[in-house]
Order: sequence, then C-alpha cells, then structure tokens
Amino acid sequence: MLAGRRGRGHDARVLSRAARRVAPAATAAALLALLLTSCSGAAPGTAKGGTSQGRQVDHLFRGFLAVGVVVFAVIWSLVLWSVVRYRRRGRPAPDAVPSQTRGNGPLELVLTALPLGIVAVLFAFTVRTQGQVDRLRPNPDVRIVVTAFQWQWRFHYVKEGITVVGAPDRYPEMVLPLRAKVRLRLESADVIHSFFVPGFLFKRDVIPRVDNEIELDTVKRGRFDGLCAEFCGLDHARMGFTVRVVDRSDYRAWVDREQGKVPA
Amino acid sequence: MTVLTERPTAPPSREPRRRATGLLDLVTTTDHKKIGLLYVFTAFGFFLLAGALAEVMRTQLARPNQHLVSAGVYNELFTMHGSIMMFLFIGPMAFGLANYFVPLQIGAPDLSFPRLNAFAYWLYLGGGITMVSGFLTDRGAAAFGWFAYAPLSDAIHSPGAGADLWIVGVALTGVAGTLFGVNLVTTIFTLRAPGMTMLRMPFFTWDMLVASLLVILTFPVVAAAVALLFADRNLGTHFFDATNGGEPILWQHLFWFFGHPEVYIIVLPYFGIVTDVIPVFSRKPIFGYRGMLIATFAIAGLSTGVWAHHMFATGAVLLPFFSALSLLIAVPTGVKFVNWIGTMWRGRLTFETPMLFCIGFLLTFVMGGITGVMLASPPIDFRVTDTYFVVAHMHYVMFGGSVFAMFAGLYYWFPKMSGRRLSERWGKVHFWLLLIGFNLTFFPQHQLGLRGMPRRVDTYGGGRGWSFLNLLSSVGAWLMGVAMLVFIANVWVSIRRGAPAGDDPWEANTLEWATTSPPPEHNFTSLPPIRSDRPLFDGRHPELRP
Repeated sequence: MLAGRRGRGHDARVLSRAARRVAPAATAAALLALLLTSCSGAAPGTAKGGTSQGRQVDHLFRGFLAVGVVVFAVIWSLVLWSVVRYRRRGRPAPDAVPSQTRGNGPLELVLTALPLGIVAVLFAFTVRTQGQVDRLRPNPDVRIVVTAFQWQWRFHYVKEGITVVGAPDRYPEMVLPLRAKVRLRLESADVIHSFFVPGFLFKRDVIPRVDNEIELDTVKRGRFDGLCAEFCGLDHARMGFTVRVVDRSDYRAWVDREQGKVPA
Repeated sequence: MTVLTERPTAPPSREPRRRATGLLDLVTTTDHKKIGLLYVFTAFGFFLLAGALAEVMRTQLARPNQHLVSAGVYNELFTMHGSIMMFLFIGPMAFGLANYFVPLQIGAPDLSFPRLNAFAYWLYLGGGITMVSGFLTDRGAAAFGWFAYAPLSDAIHSPGAGADLWIVGVALTGVAGTLFGVNLVTTIFTLRAPGMTMLRMPFFTWDMLVASLLVILTFPVVAAAVALLFADRNLGTHFFDATNGGEPILWQHLFWFFGHPEVYIIVLPYFGIVTDVIPVFSRKPIFGYRGMLIATFAIAGLSTGVWAHHMFATGAVLLPFFSALSLLIAVPTGVKFVNWIGTMWRGRLTFETPMLFCIGFLLTFVMGGITGVMLASPPIDFRVTDTYFVVAHMHYVMFGGSVFAMFAGLYYWFPKMSGRRLSERWGKVHFWLLLIGFNLTFFPQHQLGLRGMPRRVDTYGGGRGWSFLNLLSSVGAWLMGVAMLVFIANVWVSIRRGAPAGDDPWEANTLEWATTSPPPEHNFTSLPPIRSDRPLFDGRHPELRP
C-alpha cells in the first residue's frame, strides 16, 4: 500500500515546489540563527565578568548553551526534514496509506537514554559550579551589610564603619577593592528585593527572615550597574546602584576619605 | 452480582418540559457541549483582554524612558496580564475543549456530573469577573505580580480592594478548577463506551486525565494559600508577616507547589491536541503510544517535586534534589518529541492549518524546553532568573507551546463545533503572522535578559544595549495583534458563511468525528466498533486493522 516510486524528474519538480513552500520557514530559521549567534555579543555600557563566581556561571552557561544549540539544531532539522521529505506528493489513490508503524522499542529506549545521559552530565557540572559559586570562606577582606528597602539600598561596611545610602536623584555606589574576597550580608527592611549585578552574572534575593550571605571575588576593575531584580512595588524600576571595583590603594584612599567625612 | 427479579419500571411519563431557548438556555444548560463552548468563548475573551494589556506594555517599552502609562498602572497591567492568562485563559480554555471533546472522544453522552459542570463554569466566570473588576476600584487592580509574593501582597504594601478581589478571584477559579477536575476524572473512569479501554483512549483524553489529577492535587493548595493571604490582609493573622514571626518564604513554597504543576496542567492538554492532530495529517498512528503515555505520567510525577526551581535565587532551597528533578523533566519531554517526529517520519503529510500550528508548536516549544533545562541549573538562575530571559522562556513554553497547540485544536475542532469550516487561506495567513510575530517578540528577550534587563520594569534608560531589542520585541507584539484580528475575522465570517464541514472533514481517527457536526444533544446515535485507538481509521481501512 506504499506510494509508488516516481521518476527522478518528477521528484526534482516536487522538491523545488516543496522548497518554495518551505522558504518562509527557512527564512525564519535563518533569522533565529542570526539572533542566536548574536547572543555572545557583550552588552555595551557595563562591564562583564567582574567576579570569579560570575566567570564560573558564565562557563556553565556556555556549556548549557552549546548543548542547547545542538539539541535545537537536531530537532529543527528532523522536523523540517519530515516536512519536506514526507509531504504528500502528487495525487495518490484514495486508499493509499503509508506504512502504519506503531513504534520502535529499541529506538525509543536509545532515544530515552540519550537525553538521560545529557542531563546527567549537565547535572554534574551544575553541582560543581554551584559548590564554587555558593561557597563561603572564613576571613573575608571586606564585609558589607546590604540593606534593601523600598526603593533604595544601604551599604554598611562593617569593619570600616562606613555607610552609603542612595538618594532619589543618585544611586548609591559600592566601592570594592580589586582581587579581594567580599562578603555581603543581605537584609530586607520591608518586602522582598533582589541584589543583582548583571556584570557579575549573579543575583541573590533579599528576603525578610531569610539570612542570605554571598561571597564575591573581584577580578576586574570597572564600574558595574546593579539593580533590584525582584518586583518590589511602585519604584522597582528605579532601584538601582553601582558597584565600582578599584585598585587596593584607591580603595584605601576611598575608605580614608569616607571615614573622614563621618566621624566615628 | 445482584440480579433484579423485577426489572425497574420507567418512572411515570410526564409532560415533556418545554426547553429553554436563547439566553435562558445558556444560563441553565447542563449540556457538556454548550458549557464547553461557554468556557471556550469566555476564556478566549479573557485571552483578548490580557493580550490587549500586553500590547500596552510592549508599546510603553518600545522606546527607553517612555511614559505612556504611569508606573502604578504598568504594575497593574503586568500583574493582570499574567493573572488573566494563567488563571482565566489558558487552563480554562483546555477545560472548555475537554468539556466538549472528552465525552465525544470516549463515546459518552455527557460528563458524569452535568450540574456540577455547570456550577464549576459559573464559579469560574464569577471568579474571573471578580478578579478583573479590580480595575474599577479607586486604587486599581492588584499590582504585585501574578505570583503575589508576600510581604508585598500584604495589606500594608498593597492596600486597596483590587488585591482582595484578586485573591477572591483566584480562590473561586481554584475551586471551579478542582470541581471540573473531579468531574472529568470520574467521567473518564466510568463513562467510556464499550470497547474504549484505557489504552485505546485518544491522547487528548489521556492528557486531560493526567492534567485533571494534577488539578485535584494542586488547586486546593493555591486556594488554601490565598485564603491565608486573605486572612493576613483582613483578619489580622500573621502567616506571611515577617514583623510578627510569619514566614514570607512560606508563601513561595505554597504558591509554587501549585505553580509548577500548573505549568503542566496548562501544557499537557495542548500536548494532547498535538498528539491527536499529527497522526491525522500524517496518515499514521501515533509512534510509540505507550512510551508517550509513560512520558506523560513521568512529566506529571516529576512536576510535583520541582517547585523550588522557581526559588533558586532565594538561596533558601539550594538542594541538588530540585535541580536534578527539574533536569529530568527534559527526558520525558524529549521522548514526546521523538514520538511526534516519529509519527511524521515516512508519513504522508499534508499541511492544513491544524497541522501547520502543530509544526509551529514543535519548532517553538523546543526553544522553551531548552531554556527550561538551563533554568533547572541554580548557577544559571543566579544569572538569568527574574530577567527577560525568563520572560522569553515562559512565553516560548506557554505561547509557543500551549497557544500554538490551542490554535491547532481550534482549527481542528471548529468544524465539529460549528458545522462549518474555517477558511484555510486566512488560517495560513494567521499562522505565518503569528509565527513571525511571536518569534520577533520573544526571541530578542532572551538576549535582553542576558544583557541584564530585569522583568517587571515599567521603563528603562537608554544606553544599556536594551533599546533596539525592545523595539524589535514591540514590533513583534503588534504583529501578533494583527494576527489575532485575522483569526477573529476568519471565525466571524466562517461561522456564517463557511463551507459545510460534514461529519469528518479531516479523515480523522477518533470518535468525536463519528457523529454529526455539531453533534446532537445525546452525542451519538450509534457508535462504530472500537478495536484500537483509531476506530474511524479502522472503519475506513478494514484491511489494515491490527
């Protein structure tokens, strides 16, 4: 009952017609591919990869992205191949039906085991990176208590006794020394916020009654935009801050200047 | 078994009651088909409303520093957009299609509890109107996001009646969904026609069964959670109030214990539609029926243990357990893709509009699946959660997945429901506009998220590399709006002037096509023999019967 084979010329004609029909899909695919490749482009205006933790996250992300692109390409190829190759051609007899395959046990098992293997590997890398990123070590170089409230931030440097608060027209700035171990303690005075520095590829929610501490190892000089990532009410979009990573000597000078401003 | 010695006699005949007509009939009906249509039209109305809210948001975000609406109004818009889509559109649309088609697919005359069915629909409508009526209050509708995180959702940070109306709306639709779920599960277990064994059921019925079990498991949880929230706001309790010893994070656990299975409640039924439609237009049986079934149950089972992956950035639930289970969901989903592609493989494919939407579904949903795997990894969440990356991900799942499959179902079943065919030509225009518009809207949002743009901001400053991508996204959203107008016009014209459909316009496989279009009130005058999952195909091809 399978459809009979036809001559080569006919096949070619049919294929070209099929190609015309599929052209919009191919255009869409090309557009997607273009946008996908643009994913690696750096965002202007803000530095990236500012902490070693962020770089770990970036590595993991790139690994997932690579696997994702392969899976994406395979699925798209198979679907588009089916659409082009197995579309009905010509006018078969009304009762002509394709082979009524109901499944293929071994194939299905293999194609179940394959994704299982993939996610097992992804899981292993996830656990490793999570351990590196979420680690707290003793004796940090700088300890800061970050207090989030509607809709501002307060940074309190514990050892140095410096407090930085933003104003409606001025984002608060967190100054950090380069190549330092920074411990942030995140506290909320009201609702849930989230401490997010896109250039560090890292965020952590700031939740009442949840003790959150994170550690950042600064590895790159520069100015990084920070913002609140958890919706927190009316001025959520305007709850920004900046992080400036400077050389240690500049950091000392900044600390001295700030301490001079506010007598202990 | 008890054998009755005397056959029960029919009750004394009464005067046949005069049937209600028109509006009175709509309000009093217990017919599953009419209630199904009520659900479909109501849900579609909410879809249009929530879509209109999204168009306003996208227009505001088309350029940096634009203030078409104020921050407060914008917050209401995204809250109600998400809430309406999640609670009032996408689930109820599936319930409506199930209402209409599950009894037909299993050869039943109605649902098990027709009056309960009507009650559930009216509860849902009441809940929906209650939720949306927040817009009419002086402080506006709820504005704390569709997952209403405490303590932002408490009486101090979100005063006003809009928030309470939101809570009551969620509770009512939650109860309505639970009642519907119980009704549907009972129907599928008890009202199948002779020969319709469980393993011969169409996949839409299977997926609705599994989704209904998830509904019964999780909707009571969200109804209870919002009841606690209501008590916190109005009765002076402190469940989620941190200043008095309550736990804000408890809300997140309760909400996402509902919220993640909810994702599968709203996506499984649409998987079912795709699984029913692809075989019809491939002229082949579904590839790996049992594998597909196991995958469905695996997805449902796993979905109840992954709620914490919405909370990785809280730092409170960083257990490898949640990450592992979330990653594992990719496996049964992959199995489904194998089965869908396997069904098309060596088939004889034709591309009527329902099939086009299924292919659109396969091509877009895979993207949501891939980003879903990324989001199962906590360190990647540290980077991308609560940014536009997540917005893109969930729209690829819920629009690229569910809504594309919903349109496949609407085009597929429209002839059965109306007796007329939709225009194929305009259907194709609709499909291409929607496919291009959708990808244009949401694909750039991945990149926006990677560039650090957080979700739920009413505007943004220029010079961050966000402006052009946002403009692209907004143009896509407007294109989707045009696509929706094309669909509405198509339905409007076809209902009146469409070509008569006949009983089985697609040469389909399942029982709903064995009756007239639209079906009579009792559904079937006679049923074909049911000896496989494709009784109609067997009737057309007796020589190929397994």
